[in-house]
Amino acid sequence: MAMAALRREGRRFATPLLSSPVRSSVISHSQEELPNGVRSISTQIVRNRMKSVKNIQKITKAMKMVAASKLRAVQTRTENSRGLWQPFTALLGDAPSVDVKKSVIVTISSDKGLCGGINSTSVKISRILHKLSSGPEKETKYVILGEKAKAQLIRDSKQDISLSITELQKNPLNYTQVSVLADDILKNVEFDALKIVFNNVPKLLLQWTFAPTCYAIMERESEAGGKLGELDSYEIEGAETKGEVLQNLAEFQFSCILFNGVLENACSEQGARMSAMDSSSRNAGDMLDRLTLTYNRTRQASITTELIEIISGASALEG
Amino acid sequence: MASAGGAAPFWRAAGMTYITYTNICANLVRNCLKEPFKAEAMSREKVHFSLSKWVDGKPEKPTIRSEGSEH
Repeated sequence: MAMAALRREGRRFATPLLSSPVRSSVISHSQEELPNGVRSISTQIVRNRMKSVKNIQKITKAMKMVAASKLRAVQTRTENSRGLWQPFTALLGDAPSVDVKKSVIVTISSDKGLCGGINSTSVKISRILHKLSSGPEKETKYVILGEKAKAQLIRDSKQDISLSITELQKNPLNYTQVSVLADDILKNVEFDALKIVFNNVPKLLLQWTFAPTCYAIMERESEAGGKLGELDSYEIEGAETKGEVLQNLAEFQFSCILFNGVLENACSEQGARMSAMDSSSRNAGDMLDRLTLTYNRTRQASITTELIEIISGASALEG
Repeated sequence: MASAGGAAPFWRAAGMTYITYTNICANLVRNCLKEPFKAEAMSREKVHFSLSKWVDGKPEKPTIRSEGSEH
């Protein structure tokens, strides 16, 4: 842009040697909207862009700090909540590929955006699961937690959505909330198997460069077909039968897994937001560097122009 | 708990799931705490989310489950 301006000025330089030299450098750094023939190289545009890019950089840096602090808060809770479902898996086993008639896919996503690609990966996995478990006489439905997955799944799977839940993170996440949610799902949706899809948190969370991430699928089979296995080695008190105990345990297991899933998803969301904001601050910084260079070149070009005019005017005076 | 073997416990007969049952019990336990701890525990009880059922690809009006404490 600066080179073109210089060339333009070079051409004009040829003519004013003969014309009136008095019309000299009033130009300086400003205004667009000038009539043709008036020389001006405007740095205003570049300066405006630099200001807005700098503001964006400040905002993204602030968002990164906020996400980092939220991440720290959720992370300890997430790690603690893993202990809730691990004994279940050890005891009752996990059945990742069970063939049932009615399966329900619970997709956990975030409500807010600007968090990188985690919601898209969750939705992608959910769609794959849906395809895997569809077939004649088989029915698959979605239960969606979070705005972002809802927006994506509405586009092509409207008929298959059975429940959608939003505003989950208005209060800090706690078990009570998730268990009420689990209860609602259990009461409202018929299913033979439940699959929960969420973003898992990789172990290397300690570094700043968080790379989101993988996903995890947990499945929970309805109590009727559950594995009894090791439960036999435990003594059961009270007059409840093993079937009842299993049913209770299965419901509790679902609630625990959902709780862990929601927490892990929140953790990955903050981490992904941190890394997205970090890379966008860096991009803004790069853009700012390039704009500064352009600005300086433009400024120097306009100074050169002024000098040329003055000199040419002076030399025209001397004759 | 000395009901006849095989009979459902009273809460399941009343239509509650195990989760609901444990939540009510937890709520009762939290209410037994003394003051400074009670406020912290109550903050762990807040429930808020907005649920909407979908019928035939159309969402119905969302119901907001916002409760200070469970049930």
